[in-house]
Amino acid sequence: MHNRVDKFREIASREMQNELSRAFLLMLSLGAPIMRQIGMSSFPDPDCAEAYGRAIRAEAIERMPELLEEFEKNAEASGAKVIWAKDAGEANAAVLKIAKERNISYVTKGKSMVTEETGLNEHLIENGVDVFESDLGEVITQMLGRLPFHIVGPALNVPPGEISDIFLKKGIIKEPTDIFLKKGIIKEPTENPVELGRAARVFLREKFRRLEMGIVGVNMAVAETGTIINVENEGNIRMNKSSPKTLVAIMSLEKVVPTMTDALHMARILSRNCTGQKLTGYVSMDTGPKKPGEIDGPEELFIIIVDNGRSEIYRDVKVREILRCIRCGACLNTCPVYSKIGGYPYGFSYSGPMGQIINPMLLGIGSTADLYRACTLCGACKNICPAGIDHPSLLLEYRARQKGQGNMPVFERMTATAASVAMASGSLWSIGAKCARPLLNSFAKDGYIKNMPLVAKGWFACRDLRAMPRKTFREMWKELNKSSADKKESI
Amino acid sequence: MKVSLFIPCTVDLMMPEIGVAVYKLLSRLGAEPVYHANQTCCGQPLYNAGYREQAKRAAKHFIEVFGEDDIIVSPSGSCVSMVKHHYPELLCDETSWYNRAFELSGRIFEFSQFVVDILCVTDVGASFSGKVTYHESCHIYRALGISHHPKKLIAAVKGTQLVEMSNATACCGFGGEFSVGFPEISEAMVKDKAENFLNTGADVLVLNEPGCLLNINGYLHRNYPQKRAMHLASFLYENSVEVNHA
Repeated sequence: MHNRVDKFREIASREMQNELSRAFLLMLSLGAPIMRQIGMSSFPDPDCAEAYGRAIRAEAIERMPELLEEFEKNAEASGAKVIWAKDAGEANAAVLKIAKERNISYVTKGKSMVTEETGLNEHLIENGVDVFESDLGEVITQMLGRLPFHIVGPALNVPPGEISDIFLKKGIIKEPTDIFLKKGIIKEPTENPVELGRAARVFLREKFRRLEMGIVGVNMAVAETGTIINVENEGNIRMNKSSPKTLVAIMSLEKVVPTMTDALHMARILSRNCTGQKLTGYVSMDTGPKKPGEIDGPEELFIIIVDNGRSEIYRDVKVREILRCIRCGACLNTCPVYSKIGGYPYGFSYSGPMGQIINPMLLGIGSTADLYRACTLCGACKNICPAGIDHPSLLLEYRARQKGQGNMPVFERMTATAASVAMASGSLWSIGAKCARPLLNSFAKDGYIKNMPLVAKGWFACRDLRAMPRKTFREMWKELNKSSADKKESI
Repeated sequence: MKVSLFIPCTVDLMMPEIGVAVYKLLSRLGAEPVYHANQTCCGQPLYNAGYREQAKRAAKHFIEVFGEDDIIVSPSGSCVSMVKHHYPELLCDETSWYNRAFELSGRIFEFSQFVVDILCVTDVGASFSGKVTYHESCHIYRALGISHHPKKLIAAVKGTQLVEMSNATACCGFGGEFSVGFPEISEAMVKDKAENFLNTGADVLVLNEPGCLLNINGYLHRNYPQKRAMHLASFLYENSVEVNHA
């Protein structure tokens, strides 16, 4: 499990210097919201469709415990085996056990955020089961050993040259380019994205051909039918689901939705918010393993339902709504902070506003302060969220919990308390203003302050501050009031 | 109509001329502005920092000061949003305070909203020959849903051409403690805002949020000293016919 949330500032600073990240982020922040807009406007009534989606997420989370039980019952009735995992360790151990019992040497994986959260790949590899990601972006990030840059496109920022290098190093290009060379498709090792994509396909197709066990995530788990649904554009998840004898689907608690109708609406909402499509290229639904007479599908299906802190979040009513998140990434594309720093600084599987609300609850308030403070509370994420999450309010709640922990610097707390006492008294406030003026203005030159030490320093990195005027409004009011009273008298 | 002015601390301490402009404009438009001299700050900086108990103290003072007023008007959407949305939330465990906060939340208005919706005025009698662009401040645009009010007021100024700025609704990077705590990210954001403003070719950037104004003007003064942003109230007042003829 990657976890570098403590390096937020350092990595943010590095990424802002990275021309490539900057160019990509600019493109993303300009293009993605438009794509989403076009996608949403294809609903006959976009506002209603959005409200309906939010209502489904609200209901799914409020009824989560009973829905999960219903899902378990129906999934098992259709032949799937449901395993509950309390935390990352239990989830990883369950997958490893299934693999070991079947003498599996390698698995392929569909894109799954929850397994990034639990660190499943590392666990399997350490224990002798090789893991091949099969989403092209994940293939690249896995090889580069990086976090996802964006939840939807984890390697969208990596240029073809870098991908070509890593493919050569890992032996992915050599074999397929040989084939392409023999067939006369290409003349030499390439940086052409289409050729690289084809090389990855050929490489993975070999893995799928002999696949014994596949691992996928889950986008929606339908309580009324016990069906797991995946949406994707590359077709690799369907390969993962249909090629092997053994399929392991891993989902976190909040993926459950009440009905198939709800799931289909959420698939339409998710697609539009992810990529602006009406529906992704592939949508696969599995209700249990292959049944007698069916021609394909896995012989056995395990569904691992991972808690990893969710039930605690569910019980914590003030933050429960973070479970509504459908991982569409719309908030990343609209966030003015994410679009400056990209996904790496958030230091964990989830980045952008989504990461800012989820990571502190998974990793703890104490170590994630930069995540819930690096926000101007502009509300763009809340506005766009198809799940109806109020991100700014959650960040404010985390800030309050941090300050409430009692281990804040004494000086800071005393300053806050002193300020609040002044705010509760007009006369103290006036005295404060009178004292502040000479202090503040001692830094001024030609009517402007260009620099100040200590806490205020950050302001002056790129900005000036006008010196404090000779009179506050309160002081000017006395004259205003007097002159208007005079005017009235004179009338 | 008696109108109680809530002059935010940033205006009171750093930009009192905005308060004067609001006072003068409202008086001219037939309202009777009053000012309670014992008002202070809405407590938002404390609330945003996470100091809720301390913020409550400021909130209660505000409610004591303004509790009896029929209409409260403020030249800051952010402070209005604090009172309107966050006071009831902050005081939800103390029934009598909650009731007062909830009741107050319906009586507080952002300046441009008050002028357009309550006074039913769009032409305040100002003229300015030049190009103007408008920044949609986050808490005005998203938290209060106010956007056409200020634009109507600007468009009604004689001789003024209102041009749209690209990414007008994007945050300017202020965010209170954010601007001090994350200076690098904040700079990247305010730089975009300034460049979008410059690209419009407008003579002045008008907005109605004191926080954004401090931020954007601070950046412009450092980097493009010939350019400036103005509060809507100042823009309307300083360019009003009456002032220019005096």
